[in-house]
Amino acid sequence: MRQFARVGITLSLIAAIAATALAMVNAVTAPKIAAYELQVIQNALTEVSGGFALGDSNTETGDTSVSAVHALNDTDGSVAGYILQLNGVGYGGSMTIMASYLVTGEVIDARLLANAETPGLGKKAEVPAYMEKFQGTGGDTAVPQKKDALEKSDADSISGATVTFSGVAKSIAYGSDFVKSLGGK
Amino acid sequence: MATERMQVLTKGFFKENPVFIIMLGLCPTLGVTTQVINGIGMGLSVIFVLVFSNIFISMLKNIIPNSVRIPSYIVIIAAFVTIVEMVMHAFAPSIYKALGIFLPLIVVNCIILGRAEAFANKNTVLDSFLDGVGMGVGFTMALTLIAFIREVFGAGTITLVPMGGFDGVIEIPLFYTYPVRVLTLAAGALLLMGYLKAFFEWNANRKRG
Repeated sequence: MRQFARVGITLSLIAAIAATALAMVNAVTAPKIAAYELQVIQNALTEVSGGFALGDSNTETGDTSVSAVHALNDTDGSVAGYILQLNGVGYGGSMTIMASYLVTGEVIDARLLANAETPGLGKKAEVPAYMEKFQGTGGDTAVPQKKDALEKSDADSISGATVTFSGVAKSIAYGSDFVKSLGGK
Repeated sequence: MATERMQVLTKGFFKENPVFIIMLGLCPTLGVTTQVINGIGMGLSVIFVLVFSNIFISMLKNIIPNSVRIPSYIVIIAAFVTIVEMVMHAFAPSIYKALGIFLPLIVVNCIILGRAEAFANKNTVLDSFLDGVGMGVGFTMALTLIAFIREVFGAGTITLVPMGGFDGVIEIPLFYTYPVRVLTLAAGALLLMGYLKAFFEWNANRKRG
């Protein structure tokens, strides 16, 4: 019995000391991490806005794949499109994608934000140029979701990371349909 | 005594290099070595965790009951890894993003658990500290070498830390235009690792005579 108690107390003490140390480090780093994450979202919103002004935001979309909708306003104040914060699934797990669309569902631009894709392979999707293959699709032409729907140079750029591409493409295509369902409202 | 201490420190560099000789930690080694900066970032993170986990495990070796030593080591190692993760996320977010999933996976890196079990729980705090530094530096050197070869030949670049007007990327003219793309892929990493392992084996045999 004493042996069990000794084991339990030792493990509890080690865990308690570790938790205290982590809490202290977290107190210092959490505000900086939150500010950084906010900055990343703000930068992405500006980058994908396509020159339109940011309008109203809605974080209660009622859709688990779309965590936020930001309206894009034209110079006369009318809704020209939307930026969606999309939740996708890649090779390394969940991914956050910020994509902008015209009201017709046509993709303006997109960025891959938080993700756990493989460095050097799927992580290449974070480069802005990666999203050029989706620009202009989603309206009259379908969003490419398979490697054979891409041109050769684009297909080469996703070599070794087709699961990431598929995850990003599915999310962007889903976002396009979501925007169409909004009907410019 | 000083010579013995020096041997504890330096054995991890070449003689018992954790990657090329002991063959530990190969998963992150192959995973992150697509860019030089990733190799250095991962290596420095492992040095921090290895040194502090070795020190604490050596200090607590007479207190931790033998039957629960592995769970205790994991708690200590996980705490240091989480500290590295939080500090890196807050102060070096670009390296944090680049290392991705491999950073939290340092918890189960067999180099760290291996040194805790094979060295720190049998030796003094000072020796465990020196072992952690030596093995960590050896791991970092191995990662940087593999990343350097893969990035130069596979992408034609050397990626370091951006500073001032320097964007952090050095382009290597010939290979930037005609990269050996397979080296940046997983298959290229395995091929290169095989060649380097063969070289280090040949070198060790040559020294033994």
